[in-house]
Amino acid sequence: MKLLIVEDQPKTGHYLRQGLNEAGFTTELVADGTHGQHLALTGDYDLLILDVMLPGRDGWQILQAVRSAGLDIPVLFLTARDAVEDRVHGLELGADDYLVKPFAFSELLARVRSLLRRGSSAPQETALQLADLRLDLIRRRVERDGQRIDLTAKEFALLELLLRRQGEVLPKSLIASQVWDMNFDSDTNIIEVAIRRLRLKVDDNFPTKLIHTVRGMGYVLEEHVN
Amino acid sequence: MIKRLSLASRLALLFAACTAVVSLIAGVLFNRASEAHFIELDQQQLDSMLVALRSTLQGVESPASFAQRQAQLRAELSRQPDLTLRISAAGQRWLDDAPSMTLPTTPGLHSLQNAGTDYRVYNAPLTPGQPDSPHLSLMLDITHHQHFLQRMQRLIWLTVGLSALATALLGAWAARSGLRPLRRMGEVAAGVSAHSLTQRLPQQHMPVELAELAQAFNAMLERLDDAFQRLSAFSADIAHELRTPLSNLLTQTQVILTQPRPLEDYREALHSNLEELQWMAQLVNDMLYLAKADHGLLMPKREPLSLADEVDALLEFFALLAEDAQVSLVREGSAHASGDRGMLRRALSNLLDNALRFTPAGGEVRVRMVDGVTLTVENTGEGIPAPLLPRLFDRFYRADPSRHEGSSEHAGLGLAITQSIVRAHGGRIYCESGPGWTRFVIELPEVI
Repeated sequence: MKLLIVEDQPKTGHYLRQGLNEAGFTTELVADGTHGQHLALTGDYDLLILDVMLPGRDGWQILQAVRSAGLDIPVLFLTARDAVEDRVHGLELGADDYLVKPFAFSELLARVRSLLRRGSSAPQETALQLADLRLDLIRRRVERDGQRIDLTAKEFALLELLLRRQGEVLPKSLIASQVWDMNFDSDTNIIEVAIRRLRLKVDDNFPTKLIHTVRGMGYVLEEHVN
Repeated sequence: MIKRLSLASRLALLFAACTAVVSLIAGVLFNRASEAHFIELDQQQLDSMLVALRSTLQGVESPASFAQRQAQLRAELSRQPDLTLRISAAGQRWLDDAPSMTLPTTPGLHSLQNAGTDYRVYNAPLTPGQPDSPHLSLMLDITHHQHFLQRMQRLIWLTVGLSALATALLGAWAARSGLRPLRRMGEVAAGVSAHSLTQRLPQQHMPVELAELAQAFNAMLERLDDAFQRLSAFSADIAHELRTPLSNLLTQTQVILTQPRPLEDYREALHSNLEELQWMAQLVNDMLYLAKADHGLLMPKREPLSLADEVDALLEFFALLAEDAQVSLVREGSAHASGDRGMLRRALSNLLDNALRFTPAGGEVRVRMVDGVTLTVENTGEGIPAPLLPRLFDRFYRADPSRHEGSSEHAGLGLAITQSIVRAHGGRIYCESGPGWTRFVIELPEVI
């Protein structure tokens, strides 16, 4: 997966590139708009991350050029101002998502993955699995090591999300949004409670723990090596 | 220019004009009256003279008979020094004491002027009722009357001028002292600055007309003061809220860097920093949200919503937390409103979060709604003292001051955000409390 980052603030750009590289993406970083637009049009990228305020050409102009060239690459905007006009303007021009600074990197990573996944239609799965944990989507049943686990509807949805995006660190805000449709930053610890409950049923009676807390970032479902 | 005149000068000029007009009218009337009076006097005098002349000249019909009576006539005339006589008959002048001047011929009283002298001329036949009777023209010198009238007129003009001047001066003084409360108002207004917003106009000493203005002015100062206080408190609070996590970050980072440590320590420090940073980012985002609301940039969508469905979704979201806290969540009634789903969910989530935090174990949080649209979130637990109720929606306000220190998970912006959202929807929110219960009431405009 090849990503283009157009961001003029060196520190932000550097950390974005490092973070995305370490998450397994190939990234290119450009600091000015004119160069960025040229690359966006000629390079074969899977996703563009554009800052709005840029020297040369701003993010809107790059987006416009990309869309009028008939390119359907997903575009994620980073803006410092959360003005409504900005948002409307961006969405009218064909931006796919936006993040307002300050944002958490885990949030950005989750959004990037969502956008990249959007294009590729996943095959219709009937079951999701990790190690000895198995989630049957049709019969809505969960088993681990052959034992049936009873989950509430929300617990099932939460586990399904974790399984579908196994290996990815999911921020609390993303979980709240995907499972409960609560699309705002909530400073309650509801997600912690929900994860604790799910762990109680999924992990507690088994030697291998699958649900892990990544401190300060979110939760991940994986078979931990260490 | 006229528009720039001070109120006092304007009033003084108006007073002066009024006095001038009134005294001018009085003077003119008096002048007319005295003139009429003089005419009357002259008429009487001339009438009596005519009677005397007629008796002296009785029976005179020809110049010859006139000559006989001339001596007698002269004697009579000498008793009337200001009278001049002309007698004419059939085109001949029998007697003409008058200087050469043309006299009116019609009978009756006339006024005329000749060579600087004013006369009253009275034409009458010697024998009334006889058409060929000799004709008498009596001329009365009335110069002294005219002099009197002229003096009179001068006096009137003088009075008009002086009284206008006097009222202008007196009026200016009166207006000035009458407008003193206004000036005091101006002084207070001029003295108002960011540091003296507490100054107020003494309303009870104000005249009725100004009391209302003073009241409005004081009310404006009150609001200004309140807004200013809140704003200053807000800036101070921002600084204060950021100081704690910032100083944690500084101290921790510096301490960690003072000497080499095991990798795990660095990781621990970074994690701890991350927590502080996330808290600060959340604070900044919340403040930006509020700033957006303050600038009227919070523009809610207007979609038809079933509030019952929204509340159910939220209660499901909070169910785990409530279960943990051993608090039961209840919804009662249903209502429809038009609004922004995301914003209203956020607003209600803050209320529920708040309610859960202050409900003791075994308590209850009840969400009630009625069409029209009122939505209440009520929780059991210790009530909130009445004086604190309006302050609940202030930014950074915390009912429990002990939470203030340290970067607890709450910055105290939740209720302020809820209020902003409700207001952006054209509604209002307030809090009521009694012993053992607290209730937040949201009133939204009806569905259009």
